[in-house]
Amino acid sequence: MESLLELAWVVTLLPLLSAAAIAAFGKQLPGKGSELGIAALAITWLLSIGIAWQTFSAGTPEPFERAFEWSPLGGGFIFELGMLVDGLTAMMFLLVTTVSLMVHIYSREYMKGEPRFTYFYAMLSLFTFSMLLLVIANNTLLAVVGWELVGLCSFLLIGFYWEDKSNQDAANKAFLTTKFGDVGLIVGVIVLSAGMFGTGTSTPFNIQETNAAAMAGELSTGTIVLGMLLIFLGCVSKSGQMPLHVWLPDAMAGPTPVSALIHAATMVTAGIFLLARLFPVLAQSATVMAVIAIVGVITLFFGGLLALVQDDLKKVLAYSTVSQLGYMIAAIGVGGYTASIFHLFTHGFFKALLFLGAGSLIHAVHSNNMSDMGGMRKPMPHTFWTFIIGSLALAGFPLTAGFFSKDEILIAGDLWAGQGFMTGNLVYWVGLAAAFVTTFYMARACFLVFAGENRSHHAPHESGPQMVAPLMLLAVLSIASGYLLSPFSSQEFNFENWTATPFVEDATYPFIDAEASGGGVLAAGGQSIMAAADGEFTILHGVPTWHFDLLAIVLVVFAAAVFLAYRFYGKGLPERDPTLNMGAATTVLVNKYGFDAFGYRYIVVPVRDTLAKWATWSSNVVIDGMVAGAGRATKNAAFATYRVLDQRVIDGGVNGAAFSAAWWSDRLKRIQSGDVQRYAGALVAGTIVLVLAIAAVR
Amino acid sequence: MDPNTAGWALVVALFLPLVGAGALAMMPSSMDRQIRRAAVVITGVAFALVAVITASFDFSRSGELQFTTDASWISAIDARFELGMDGISLPLFFLTYLLTFLCAIYTTKHLPSPGKPKAFLALMLLLQTGMAGTFVAFDLVLFFIFWELVLVPMFFMIGMWGGPRRDYASVKFFLYTLFGSIFMLIAFLAIYFTAGANTWSIQALSEMAPFGSTTFQTWAFLGMFLGFAIKVPMWPFHTWLPDAHTEAPTVGSVLLAGVLLKMGTYGFVRIALPILPEGAVRFAPLIGVLAVIGIVYGALCCLAQTDVKRLIAFSSVGHMGFVMLGIAAMNEAGIQAALFGNIAHGIITGMLFFLAGSLHERYHTREIAVIGGGMLKKIPRYGVLLTYVAVASLGLPGLAGFWGEFTAMWAAISPGLGLADQYAGLYLGLVVFAAIGTVLTAGYFLWLLQRVNLGDPPERWVNEQLDDVMTIEWVTWLPLLLLILALGIFPVLVFGVQDAAVTNLMGYLGG
Repeated sequence: MESLLELAWVVTLLPLLSAAAIAAFGKQLPGKGSELGIAALAITWLLSIGIAWQTFSAGTPEPFERAFEWSPLGGGFIFELGMLVDGLTAMMFLLVTTVSLMVHIYSREYMKGEPRFTYFYAMLSLFTFSMLLLVIANNTLLAVVGWELVGLCSFLLIGFYWEDKSNQDAANKAFLTTKFGDVGLIVGVIVLSAGMFGTGTSTPFNIQETNAAAMAGELSTGTIVLGMLLIFLGCVSKSGQMPLHVWLPDAMAGPTPVSALIHAATMVTAGIFLLARLFPVLAQSATVMAVIAIVGVITLFFGGLLALVQDDLKKVLAYSTVSQLGYMIAAIGVGGYTASIFHLFTHGFFKALLFLGAGSLIHAVHSNNMSDMGGMRKPMPHTFWTFIIGSLALAGFPLTAGFFSKDEILIAGDLWAGQGFMTGNLVYWVGLAAAFVTTFYMARACFLVFAGENRSHHAPHESGPQMVAPLMLLAVLSIASGYLLSPFSSQEFNFENWTATPFVEDATYPFIDAEASGGGVLAAGGQSIMAAADGEFTILHGVPTWHFDLLAIVLVVFAAAVFLAYRFYGKGLPERDPTLNMGAATTVLVNKYGFDAFGYRYIVVPVRDTLAKWATWSSNVVIDGMVAGAGRATKNAAFATYRVLDQRVIDGGVNGAAFSAAWWSDRLKRIQSGDVQRYAGALVAGTIVLVLAIAAVR
Repeated sequence: MDPNTAGWALVVALFLPLVGAGALAMMPSSMDRQIRRAAVVITGVAFALVAVITASFDFSRSGELQFTTDASWISAIDARFELGMDGISLPLFFLTYLLTFLCAIYTTKHLPSPGKPKAFLALMLLLQTGMAGTFVAFDLVLFFIFWELVLVPMFFMIGMWGGPRRDYASVKFFLYTLFGSIFMLIAFLAIYFTAGANTWSIQALSEMAPFGSTTFQTWAFLGMFLGFAIKVPMWPFHTWLPDAHTEAPTVGSVLLAGVLLKMGTYGFVRIALPILPEGAVRFAPLIGVLAVIGIVYGALCCLAQTDVKRLIAFSSVGHMGFVMLGIAAMNEAGIQAALFGNIAHGIITGMLFFLAGSLHERYHTREIAVIGGGMLKKIPRYGVLLTYVAVASLGLPGLAGFWGEFTAMWAAISPGLGLADQYAGLYLGLVVFAAIGTVLTAGYFLWLLQRVNLGDPPERWVNEQLDDVMTIEWVTWLPLLLLILALGIFPVLVFGVQDAAVTNLMGYLGG
């Protein structure tokens, strides 16, 4: 075997096998199937580390693609089953398998004694397979398959406690909202592939070919703008962007490990991943990038605000996920390819950590609400310090992973602004403002949970080793992962080089006049564009340098937010929670800007209760009425013929003729009474006679 | 078996059920169990023979007719006994034999009142010959005979073993379909005389096409359109379907959804398109529009249904809309999609009707509100199966339903035969609305599952003894459940078989 990359398909398929095995005989095993899932995940994790190492140590790895024809689709086009392994794939592999393995281990204790424990593990493994399938896909159609499958697993796991109607509703809402976005994804994929027909390829869904064609200018502007905006609609729903984010907070109805894996670290980042995969395509259009950036900016700010008024700890984290996904989307829109996926990577670890930490707390106090917690620092020391590390990373405290990745996004915005794009300014300044909000609500949460008196009705105790160990590992990663792209990283081996694909390296933005502005190279992070800005168009990869101006602002923002939160919440739950007493602002936030109510009142209800009833009425009464009317008219005509023509006109004539007519009318009458067999027989016979007669005449 | 010379095998497979029907009729009515077993044996042998035919089918030449028979039949009108199968016929032919076999097995344990297995099974076998014949007949007169033959047994199946409104539903089904087929017959006659080649051969006429004036093409296509569109059924000709399905006995519904509806789409693909290509192109945008209306409208109707079986019946309107959208695309991918959708819908919806039948046997009602939820607690295996098939029906990738739907939309974005130049915007709109239809489809299935599967069972069922999935049901359903998965993972099983035949067919259309 030449290279570990050839085994990448094993990484994807092993969780599928374990899902099947768990479903088949998990119940008979002592660990009720969990050991199968953990074993399979451990192997895929080790393989992923190997693949990550191999691609990482290659500097910028050449994409490794293997595909074979899986099915013809007609017209000479084929559907390929294939894998595309490059730094981006390897990065996602590492993230998905790490978090999934942690969640698998953690859930053994967290889900202990739950009914459907084995089913839970089968679904976790199935989800992991689906996510890895999406990641490994070498063509957009295969990616759609993975994309839809993760949606199904998400649906099944959100509704894991399906005895309660609210959980069922949450699951349905998640599936249908994302399915609505999938209209965009599917039509977008179709539009892009149709654009590929002109290139004479037989594999119009192939991602590398699509990227190459886009860069070579073989795709029309219409195809790119329409296709990518539609695909972006899919990303908006899947990655919780406004206004289709409404399902994500409700998705917290699922078990907490599920929230950590699916609704924080992996599935919700699928939209960002897909945009990164097709970055060379979307980079062809300033319009597309502007739309992406604006949606991202809106989400990162307004999504974050919603976290301020939550009492449910998981909802705080959910809205923070919405907001952080907004950062990633916004980064894509301002050319921050590396910044975006770097934040995706670090966020995956620290947000999974926060959710698992929240799970540990919930496990201890049997409530999701921060008003039922308080004073948890002492009884749960490990949960405490790991949660604090996760919060610091989320808030972007210097030297944590979140600091490095979020700064990359802000710098990307700044550089984009330097190219004369207003969206760059927006990302920079709104991003900074939202950092204040983020720090404030996380500080609020930390104070409410860990400071003050214990308000729970239980005697909380630290969780067992199977829950604490994943917290510790993720805490380490929440700091360490940031150093892959920091002023301390190697010039040659760093996150940027690792995940840059040849397309991202070679492409330019066609809408930027490179000569005039000195920019225009597509390649990743800040350094490359800056280098170009000096007048040299060669791409200089490099690690970020310190931006002391930004560092200063970030520190001030952090200190101010924490100080403010300490004043309000430092001593535990205040009598009057200031965020819940902001008058109209609180009302707006508590009502979630009215999106949920609007969607229910003006989309769900009209479709389900009005349109559907109208359609059924029109079918049963109008259309069927016409059919029945035609039937009645025929029947009446037959009787009229019998009574008037036959009885009065002909009956007065020749007896023989009348007899014959009566005989026919009699037959006709019988048909109307439902004796259809004769009718059919007569028809077939009549037809044959007719045909014979015609033939004979000729 | 040599597919070039073994035409007899196809003839035997085709008429074996007919002979079997005769044999059953000979048996005394008192031999209830023996009659049921005999039906299983007959359909089993027929299925085995079709399996052998499938195995010896030359897949490398799936574009050409194999197992052909071409004998003089009614020479006075030039009608010939012309049979054969290519890659388009084979999957449908196979599905017909599989479903009938499974229905025979199912009937050993389940038969609605008034019982009378002899009559029921004899009719089913008669139906089988009719259905199978339409897929392998290559002479228009012969095709028409098989087409009409199907009506009679189905009429009696609904009319005698059906639900409370069976009389109304059966007569409506019969007359409505017959109404359509009259126009189809007129179109056949017009084609025969306009071509002027003294032949009814579908192959020969396809090769001669296009012939006749534009007016002829338009009118003849309109005639066929009425015949086939009613059978499919396309919106707004669909109203016979919910009634027929709701009233039909389980086996009748399964065969109706599984095979009978496919005769309509098959007719479009096999006869209307290649023989009347100019008419087809003129009608394509209209077909596309009606198809997409059917998708959205069918899904909306499903949302309003209170009866599980009627809901599934309306879901057929939507799903067949996707099939017709593929046909409206007038390119190879579209035809592929339509034929794949045909097979997938036959398996999935056939399975759904089995499930609806079992539901009725357990709860003695199909009203969603009366069932009231909790099936996952009360009869968990059944609940899981319902979820699985519903998810397949809503088009989840990895299961059979996805490929027909996705490929139909994909094909429709760039319609063939010059339609793209004129109607690019229209077709883009069709694709978007079809995609919105998938959301509504997901909506009504999830809502159905929520209302019948989830939560706690209502009080009236808590202490009721309800059987979970029984052995006979597993035996009957397992092949379908596996096929749903197999076709989802290996779409090549159908796409691959059809590919060359579809290319051939599009050759007739000049595409």
